[in-house]
Amino acid sequence: MEEGAVVAEGLTKRYGDFTAVDGINLTVKRGEIYGLLGPNGAGKTTTVRMLTTLTQITSGNAWVNGYSVREEPLLVKRSIGLVPDVSNLYDELTVEENLLFAARLYNAPIERVRELIREFDLPANKKFGKLSSGFKRRTTIAAALVHRPEVLFMDEPTTALDVSSARNVRNLIRLLNKEGITVFITTHNMIDAESLPHRIGIIKEGKIIAEGKGRELKELMGKGMVVKLLVEPITSKLINEIEAYSPTFDEGFIVVTVEDVDEFLEELFDLKMRLGFKVKRISTELPTIEDVFVELTERNGCSCGGCPL
Amino acid sequence: MKILVIAEKELKEYILKPGSISWGIIFPLVFTLAFAVRFGDVDHLAPGLMSISILFGTTSFVSSSIIFERRLRTFERLLVAPVKRVEIVGAKILVGTLFGLFVGAVSFLILRLFMAYRVWNPLLLITFMFVSGTAFSGLALWVSLRVENPINAMTWLNLIRLPMIFTSGAIVSLLLFPHWFIVVGLITPMTYAVDGMRYAMLGYYDVINPIYDLLVTVLLSMLFTYLSVEELRRLY
Ligand SMILES: Nc1ncnc2c1ncn2[C@@H]1O[C@H](COP(=O)(O)OP(=O)(O)OP(=O)(O)O)[C@@H](O)[C@H]1O
Ligand SMILES: [Mg+2]
Repeated sequence: MEEGAVVAEGLTKRYGDFTAVDGINLTVKRGEIYGLLGPNGAGKTTTVRMLTTLTQITSGNAWVNGYSVREEPLLVKRSIGLVPDVSNLYDELTVEENLLFAARLYNAPIERVRELIREFDLPANKKFGKLSSGFKRRTTIAAALVHRPEVLFMDEPTTALDVSSARNVRNLIRLLNKEGITVFITTHNMIDAESLPHRIGIIKEGKIIAEGKGRELKELMGKGMVVKLLVEPITSKLINEIEAYSPTFDEGFIVVTVEDVDEFLEELFDLKMRLGFKVKRISTELPTIEDVFVELTERNGCSCGGCPL
Repeated sequence: MKILVIAEKELKEYILKPGSISWGIIFPLVFTLAFAVRFGDVDHLAPGLMSISILFGTTSFVSSSIIFERRLRTFERLLVAPVKRVEIVGAKILVGTLFGLFVGAVSFLILRLFMAYRVWNPLLLITFMFVSGTAFSGLALWVSLRVENPINAMTWLNLIRLPMIFTSGAIVSLLLFPHWFIVVGLITPMTYAVDGMRYAMLGYYDVINPIYDLLVTVLLSMLFTYLSVEELRRLY
């Protein structure tokens, strides 16, 4: 048996020749909110599907609540809840029927259904298919909780929700976590990433490329500040000159991380004189998780999103 | 056992889906009616027509439910719950069978209007209808899980079930075909259902001893259950 609510060791999933998840190691502590952050196609859903017994592990293994996913799948299933990226509830059944069915599947007491409907403020007699996206998500979360699981897996819980529904879901997640549930979420939403998880793993092309508390990840960027520049025109000469700062590009802005703002400005001024571009806007900020994310997942020659050249 | 819990949910959800209604109810009942009105010897035809009704009822219901669930991903609701694969398969087969029995019963009520004799052994008839239902449901489940794209499941099913109407001797007795055709009949799973039901209704048999009919049909049900469980293991 392994310590930790979720433990993965060399967890790998291959589809034919393609490796979707490539030897992931991670440990989620009991009572923690862990966020798996990654771009589209990074392997987040595949990881969750392996951890929740929905797809076979190609190699490596994982333990959830101390149960081996490979050897004791039924015990794993009993102790987890899953809120998948696409809801798994039945459109034709009402909210109450959906929850009752879940309760029966898990041998949970029927009173729990009424309790959840009240707590989550759900329209009991409405067909699931007729609900708004926000209520669909809330109902799916409620259904994952009928049997009081110790670990809750949520695959992109705020995707496709409007601002206030997304905020609702985030508050809900915090509340559940306060009640002692370990939460494993995947996301590519930066607000989720910034505000929810105690620890974050950044996944890219099936590998975890960085892991730690938000603060620790930000320290990976150095002690520096993030400087955003809007200049005209952007030339390859300019980009060559500032290559040492490994710039990334965001909606026309050049984004660099610098240790010493004053020194950078001096250099910039010098370049401006020599190359003759105009500085339209400039800002300095503390690095965000988004900056870390972009830095780690997009840095790769000029394959970076939004490069103007 | 979670079989009944799942089965009840399935009935609520899929009974009104277009796939189960068109191929599962309308087709077999129109088929039954057409033959009953057109041909005289309804007593001899009835077991075959009822088998066809059960075949289409069960297979349409089972495959349309599994196609919907896999496409909408609600199937994973069952897979992530602490339920054994064999319970999921059992539930699907049970609801398919109940649906097929219902279509078979309606078909019987239509045929009853044209039949000259009473059913020889009603209890045996119900037994045969039930085990045929489980065998056909199992077949449909296995085929529907087996096909890569669930949308093709109906096409594959028709490739199997339409020829079976003839190779099982449901319409024309196998004895009226050339000798070699009996071999084709014997490897058709539905032959045993038709033959057994004919025995239960008329009190005599054409080709196979009804004990074997029952045995083979039960074994087929078990085989398809096993194959479906294995297919689930492979898929997820
Ligand atoms: N059943 C499958 N067969 C083949 N390839 C697959 C399958 N499922 C996923 N993949 C591939 O595995 C990779 C990882 O997919 P996954 O769905 O885990 O990514 P993700 O991080 O969840 O992305 P998103 O943010 O878009 O949800 C992708 O390249 C995807 O195309
Ligand atoms: Mg995903």
